Amino acid sequence: MMDNQTLTLVVAGASLVAPGLRRVHLVAADGSRLPPAAPGAHITLTLPGRIRNSYTLVSADPERGYELIVRRSDRSRGGSQHIHDQLAIGDVVAATLPHNLFALHSQAKKHLLIGGGIGVTPMIAFLARLRETSARFELHQIAGQTETETFTRLLAPRAGERIHVHAGRSTFDLTALLAAQPLGTHVYTCGPAGLMDGVEAAAAALGWPGSHVHREDFGAAGGEPFLLRLASSGIDIAVAGDQTMLEAIEAAGVDTPSLCRGGACGVCVLPVREGTPEHRDHYLSEAERSAGCLVMPCVSRSRSATLVLDL
Amino acid sequence: MTNRPRYVPLAPDPCARAHLLVADHHGIDGAAFAPGHALADFPERWDIVAHALVLPEPFGGPGVQHFRSSSHLLSLLRHRLAAETMGLRLYAVGSEPFVWDVARVAIDAGMGREEFHLFATGRPVRRVSCVHCRTINPGVTTTLIVCAGCGVTLGVRDHFSRMHNAWMGVQCDAEAPGELPAIEDLSA
Repeated sequence: MMDNQTLTLVVAGASLVAPGLRRVHLVAADGSRLPPAAPGAHITLTLPGRIRNSYTLVSADPERGYELIVRRSDRSRGGSQHIHDQLAIGDVVAATLPHNLFALHSQAKKHLLIGGGIGVTPMIAFLARLRETSARFELHQIAGQTETETFTRLLAPRAGERIHVHAGRSTFDLTALLAAQPLGTHVYTCGPAGLMDGVEAAAAALGWPGSHVHREDFGAAGGEPFLLRLASSGIDIAVAGDQTMLEAIEAAGVDTPSLCRGGACGVCVLPVREGTPEHRDHYLSEAERSAGCLVMPCVSRSRSATLVLDL
Repeated sequence: MTNRPRYVPLAPDPCARAHLLVADHHGIDGAAFAPGHALADFPERWDIVAHALVLPEPFGGPGVQHFRSSSHLLSLLRHRLAAETMGLRLYAVGSEPFVWDVARVAIDAGMGREEFHLFATGRPVRRVSCVHCRTINPGVTTTLIVCAGCGVTLGVRDHFSRMHNAWMGVQCDAEAPGELPAIEDLSA
């Protein structure tokens, strides 16, 4: 039941770990072993309505299966709502093979983990591995006032003096934390864009090289609707406000490669012929952005009413 | 085919929080620095002055420190890096074996390739590793040498191991004993 591209998974268990957070346990539909995945890996699920969402694997074991924790988001395109409201034990779900764009660095002397909100998911996977290998680490998880207890509980089986759950960002001194890190530290951050941008900016200001700063992006979907014209295919597509450009292209039946669907990997990059893209990815360089010749359709949108692509 | 390292003249990295320049000699040539830059751009530097009265203070703060030998400098560099925080850039000037010894200390301390910069100066001298007996032959300036370990005649390949900090030496008359190619000078 497995080809090169897709896995057929079945829901073996699901439970609410806290209001709005659902843990989903997936195994291979035919009972076979699943491909192994290193901590930080994600899979992309195909959900009803042609929605394809990427979720971090909280745990991945070829025998026991994969685990996800999904936050219910009312503003999303419906993927998380489906997982919370409809997905039941025994349901079959198509998924990609695990991909990892947020791996632990093997040469790091110390791992500094900074999670915000649901960005806790890769941190849970990291913690298990770092514990196993007795690696040096420190985790700071930022939670809303009401969720501090939930996140403490989520991390509780792995608690220790190296794990800190902060109620909000105001109590958390990012610059002091980064300034105190020994040479050879790698920092990994996952959470709201504001937090991750803050980590990147503070690290850069303290002289951290870019190769020691790792972030995991969730696609920031949604925006103004616009018209997409595929010049080579001769197709006009209306991109709805709650739909990504990539989803609109796929819905129109045009095949284009993609991988992380979160603006990180660069696989889906497309050439722009006319119009002004609104870049939301973390792949293109500043120079490539200002040249305006490339766009990442998985997360980016259009500033102009019409965007023309060479596709 | 060569994987000979290329060295870019040094300039302080504007993104860094702090800089430390280390050299295996005193009086660094201006050619080691990028246009518009000079030794004065690196206020904290360590160099080598072979004298018994040399007494460095590796944690003594910015300034110039002298060491007795490269091994003396390298061992104190290990201690210094173990106590450093993120944001430091390390620069090394000197013979090729020395700058790659510094690179090894930096890598062992967890520094990435963006955090240290090397510039090899002086007459090219190769450290050659015999692939047969693993003996390191220092100070090589010609394409043919007799291995100090196993006594065979090694041809010095144009292949540098950044991991071992040594050039590759392979017996050059293994198929036809005694048939040796012409010897060439590597130090030109």
